[in-house]
Amino acid sequence: MSIPVNAPASARIVFEDVSKFYGEILGVNRVNLSIPPGITSLVGPNGSGKTTLMNLMTGLVRPSRGRVEVLGYQTNDPEHLFAILGYSTQFDAFPKGLTGFQFIYSYLRLSGRDAQTAEQMAWRVIERVNLVDAAKRNIAGYSKGMRQRIRLAQALAHDPKVLVLDEPLNGLDPLARSEMIALFRAAAAQGCYVIISSHILHEVDVISDQVILLSNGYVVAEGQIATVRGEIQEHPTQILVRCTRPRELAAKMLEDAHTIEVTIHKDEKGVLLKTRDADGFYLALNQLATNGIDVESIAPADDDVLSVYEYLIGNEEGVR
Amino acid sequence: MTRGTTKIWWAQIQAVIRLEMKKTFFAKRGLWIYLVAALPVFLFMAYAVATSGRQHQSASVARRGEKMLTYQDLMAVKPGMTREEVVAILGKPPVAFHWGENRPLGPGVTANVLREDYHYSDGQNDLFVGLADGKVESINIQNGDNQGQDSIMFAGVFQFFFLRLAIFFGCLGIFMNLFRGEILDRSLHFYFLAPIRREVLMVGKFLAGLLATCAIFVTSELLQTVAFLWHFSPSAREVYLYHNHGLEHAAIYVGVTILACVGYGAFFLVAGMLFRNPILPAAAILIWEAINPFLPGILKQFSVIYYLKSLCPVEIPSPPGTPPILALLISNTDPVSAPVAVVGIVVVALIALYASSLQVRRMEINYTTE
Repeated sequence: MSIPVNAPASARIVFEDVSKFYGEILGVNRVNLSIPPGITSLVGPNGSGKTTLMNLMTGLVRPSRGRVEVLGYQTNDPEHLFAILGYSTQFDAFPKGLTGFQFIYSYLRLSGRDAQTAEQMAWRVIERVNLVDAAKRNIAGYSKGMRQRIRLAQALAHDPKVLVLDEPLNGLDPLARSEMIALFRAAAAQGCYVIISSHILHEVDVISDQVILLSNGYVVAEGQIATVRGEIQEHPTQILVRCTRPRELAAKMLEDAHTIEVTIHKDEKGVLLKTRDADGFYLALNQLATNGIDVESIAPADDDVLSVYEYLIGNEEGVR
Repeated sequence: MTRGTTKIWWAQIQAVIRLEMKKTFFAKRGLWIYLVAALPVFLFMAYAVATSGRQHQSASVARRGEKMLTYQDLMAVKPGMTREEVVAILGKPPVAFHWGENRPLGPGVTANVLREDYHYSDGQNDLFVGLADGKVESINIQNGDNQGQDSIMFAGVFQFFFLRLAIFFGCLGIFMNLFRGEILDRSLHFYFLAPIRREVLMVGKFLAGLLATCAIFVTSELLQTVAFLWHFSPSAREVYLYHNHGLEHAAIYVGVTILACVGYGAFFLVAGMLFRNPILPAAAILIWEAINPFLPGILKQFSVIYYLKSLCPVEIPSPPGTPPILALLISNTDPVSAPVAVVGIVVVALIALYASSLQVRRMEINYTTE
């Protein structure tokens, strides 16, 4: 996998003040993003603008305002853009009468590859998504999971540098999911840009390097999960402290101005704290430890996408 | 643009054509196009069968006659001749009918008249003589191999059905669906996700549509010619093809068919991108083409039929008594030379294709609004 020799120097996927309106309906508004390599997840409820953002990134729709660039390529230049980008859409329709193999093979021929190369590449990617047995069958007879996998195969077929995957794990069984996740991780490890949208937050949490949270067409937060958390000063951090004298610790912590809430753990062997100043809390805790309270462990209790997500956009549709 | 780029574009165009041809030729919703293309073939086949039947009958009548007649013999019979004079020229009629008829002579007065119909033939042409009380009252000659009239009939079917309706609607069905059909099927993104210039995709699709329409309508045109020539005797066929410009006309008709596919195809390709409902642009283009004879000279040039009519090898005469407005539709009052017509149609098609290329670059995938 390589970027063409004449590729521009820019090495990010950039949205500059991008808005998209479908008539009077808002798709996304005033989006500014700079996506680095690795796995980036777009998270948000239905209608939050995830697919619009992906379609903008791939030139399937044009921005009403602003500019989108993928590694320096304009999105209105499909000839060069799709040489480095593969997009697995949510559109569940295929050209009529094609088998899985023909679908991939035709796609590769469309990109100008000769018959032999296209055939070899098609079989290779079909093998990667475990569809060899079904490759000669008409796609119309595929199950939802198989159709999802053949779309993934299309996106992966030409070894792109950027993979844009709209709900790629939908319809896959647990085994296939873990295989696909491994595949995304491998691609990211090779320096690929893997952009994934998903409603299944725990999966995103596990595999993402970055996260972009969307709500009603707006980017409400972006960055590494921990960074996103840090950006949101108002969002209290939950910390679980396992210690010998939880009630004493709770009383001490309540004296701190940044502490919002303290709960004794139900097993009476720890304290769950909510604070607006995590750094200050950790310093204070060190002091308490020297004052005779044995602290067994300290762990952030909510440093995952779900908690940040719920805090930012509420417990809306799509949150599971 | 380097040679390598051109090579890749050509490979991509071929890939698009391969995908599109399969869809175009075997699409269920395109079956009516085959039927429309086959209609004139059926018409000429029916004409050939009817003419062959009449020729057999003529030959049979000629064989049964007392004399071997010539066309001049048949033409020698004139109204007012007596039965005996007719028999003297043509011999005893091989087919004859007679019956009595009461003819009114005045108020309340009738007379019984002996009516006779004689049928003679020279083997190709038929003479029907009507006699009343032994005198020739009516003469009707039906010519057998009338190549001039047949070629005018062929030209009429070609210009008024094949060009203006069959190819027109066939191109509508195929070219309008090249993009519109895939938007409706929600599968256009397959092409838009490939590393292919939108203009290259558009050219590939246009060529695929052109190949499909040419294959269908040129085949139809050739079959029409075969069916048209079917009832000609071998000698008449040879005369028509090699001495009466028949072969040349057939080649021109094929050329005009291809140019019609180019012109209408380009029109409908852009219309399919601009309009969701094909009925409106189809009706508009149909009306535009129909009113072409009444348009000012400059506007006429933005029409496909204007150039095609000028290329057609046989001028269709207006029948006597045709209203002037209808005669204007039939005749080509303002023909252009063949090179101008060919260049004109190519230029009109290129303008339409340029408009398509601008439109295809602007196209977005937004199936929910369709």
